[in-house]
Amino acid sequence: MADKNLTLAISSSPHLRSPDTVSNAMRDVLLALLPITLVSIYFFKLHAVFLILVCLAAAALTELLFRKVMNKPSSLDDGSALVTGLLVALCFGPSTAWWTAALCTFIGVGIAKELMGGLGWNRFNPALFGRVSVILLVPIFSYLSSIFVSMRPYLGEIDMVTQATPLALLKQGVGMPGLFDLFLAFPGGALAETSALALILGGIYLFYKEHITWEIPVSMIVAVFVVALIFGQNPLYHVLAGGVLLGAFFMATDWVTSPITSKGKLIFGAAIGILVIVFRVGLGPTEGTAFSILIMNAFVPYIDRVTKRPKFGEVAASQSASVSAGRPVSKTS
Amino acid sequence: MTVKTFSQGVFLPHYKEFSEKKSITTIPLPKEVVIPLHQHTGAPCRALVKPGDEVKAGQRIGESDAFVSAYVHASVDGKVTAVEPRPYFTGTNVESVVIEVDAKQGKPAWQERDTSKLSIDEIRAAIKDAGIVGMGGAAFPTHVKLSPPKPIDAFIVNACECEPFLTCDHRMMLEMTDMLLEGARLAQKAVSAPKLIFGVETNKPDAIQALNSKIAGEAGVELVALDVKYPQGSEKQLIKAVLDREVPPGKLPFDVGVVVQNVATCIAVYEACRYGKPSIERVLTVTGDGAAKPQNVLVKMGTPIGHIIEQCGGFKGEAGKVIMGGPMTGWAQSRLDTSIVKGSSGILLFSPAMVAETEHKACVRCGKCVDHCPMFLYPNYISTYAETGRFDLADEWGAMDCFECGVCVYVCPSNRPIVQFVREAKKQIAAARAARN
Repeated sequence: MADKNLTLAISSSPHLRSPDTVSNAMRDVLLALLPITLVSIYFFKLHAVFLILVCLAAAALTELLFRKVMNKPSSLDDGSALVTGLLVALCFGPSTAWWTAALCTFIGVGIAKELMGGLGWNRFNPALFGRVSVILLVPIFSYLSSIFVSMRPYLGEIDMVTQATPLALLKQGVGMPGLFDLFLAFPGGALAETSALALILGGIYLFYKEHITWEIPVSMIVAVFVVALIFGQNPLYHVLAGGVLLGAFFMATDWVTSPITSKGKLIFGAAIGILVIVFRVGLGPTEGTAFSILIMNAFVPYIDRVTKRPKFGEVAASQSASVSAGRPVSKTS
Repeated sequence: MTVKTFSQGVFLPHYKEFSEKKSITTIPLPKEVVIPLHQHTGAPCRALVKPGDEVKAGQRIGESDAFVSAYVHASVDGKVTAVEPRPYFTGTNVESVVIEVDAKQGKPAWQERDTSKLSIDEIRAAIKDAGIVGMGGAAFPTHVKLSPPKPIDAFIVNACECEPFLTCDHRMMLEMTDMLLEGARLAQKAVSAPKLIFGVETNKPDAIQALNSKIAGEAGVELVALDVKYPQGSEKQLIKAVLDREVPPGKLPFDVGVVVQNVATCIAVYEACRYGKPSIERVLTVTGDGAAKPQNVLVKMGTPIGHIIEQCGGFKGEAGKVIMGGPMTGWAQSRLDTSIVKGSSGILLFSPAMVAETEHKACVRCGKCVDHCPMFLYPNYISTYAETGRFDLADEWGAMDCFECGVCVYVCPSNRPIVQFVREAKKQIAAARAARN
């Protein structure tokens, strides 16, 4: 056309976009984690603040480093590194050494996510992968401790009822906190175990913002409850104490590492719930939720395949084929 | 009022307020019109004229012997200056007849007929002679669609206009209600359907009222109010919403006893049967946040979009994007000398602010595309497999059943160009299938 100065944008249809972005979703997850973060800071003061800052910094630096080395553009703006960092921190107790938390974060963000191809390509939840690496790689962590022990800052005494987690107490059958304390706020175990209520509030926010759906949290919690009953345990303790609520709302619902369909999500959540109790009853009292989710993460592609839904018209087609050759044409007057 | 709809899909912002209250107007003729000889699904036409020929508005200038094809006609009085490939709105070049428009246009002498006496074959012949194609965008020859090989029990008028921004069908429903009703009756007769159903979305209450007041008391005619959801105007989704029938994969509406035509097509059918008037003009919406004067205009086929934009006041501020068609399935234009064809329902002018980001990230498996896909496919897997070259797996997850409505791209938080991936996958899958056979 005559107008030479006209520069028009060209792209494939559609030409409209919803306001949803990964960054917005991650920001909402951080917001949803705010209540539990504040409760943990309330109880553990500087210990919690320090641990959280270490993990956030470690996560951001790890992502920057890996993407720089792999010659990829920075993806810090999607916020997923910060979410992973915060989640790792929340999975630890306040007395955790900073180098342990930092290395776990490094492994979570660097190996479980970036080496797998970055956000979207990771098969395992990065935060949980990082968190359990401390158990799988015990020798490395004790070696680190021997090096770094002098570099541990003094942040005051930790204000805890006991260093034993409620779950451990449950296992031993002594000195358990009341259910109501456990629900509202109780300083025991990891940062994220300080208040069930704060986690539930966060979960409701994510649900309200449509970042998560009901299937995984509900099926997982119901499974924990029912299987605990079967094992003759107090089901409410199993739901409220330990990592079940954090896992149900924030970890098992991770987009990248959970199934796509409603049916798949129900299977996934229920399987995690069952595994949690099996771990807790059969094995040690800690990390049952983390291991259960990671194990089920591995099954996600399989679950997606077996829960594949029929396409539009496929059900109708098979129904009419099985009824007779007659089409529904004659149905109308 | 019960409101029906289909499963999944997405609620989009309407953006109809720019032009929905603007009556249909006409604009001055351009200096030349460019009429593509292949602007429909099916076989291309061959030119019946050569440079230097004088043509009259309505004169057939291209035809094909194939059944699935549609004649093209001169839309103005003028002189043929060239028959050559010209830029087409999809980005390719298409053999076109270029006509220099006469300053003085004659008055077309249409022969008025009593449409109630027309037989089924006469209706179909009139439509074929008029070169009518689906005017909602698909451009499938209407005489073919109105010759279904199976018995039809319901003829549905697609009055959803589910694409945001577009209001031309809405205006036609209001301003040409009788013609629409008559055209729908003729098309219904052509397929011998006992039932005539109008499917209208509820964001057009005045159109619903106008149609209801005309069809009140008539047996076998019904208006179904539909929720405002995209892509309601897609045939399969419309049939599901209106009749709760599902067209199986790979099948067509007539397989479930239904034929669908959109509003503009029905009106064209009326004009063809009543006056013998060919498809030489259409109403389209010129709108968008970047349009100085959004409006609905009646234009001649072959009018360059630049002329229309100019006559409609051009851009308000800086130009961002020009789209031929709706914002969900339309084509971004790189130049303004492409012309209006029978399937063009709108010209959208976007400001730079409306232009979507093109950078995309990896799929984060949020599942939103799966939750919204109206065909119950897995756009997440299809796009990732297409991106990584695994077209066999893209096929397995349903690439070939996608009709490219764009819902998945709209909801994707990673801004993935899934429709583009699907198009590539379809090409590769078709090639692989052809190689196997």
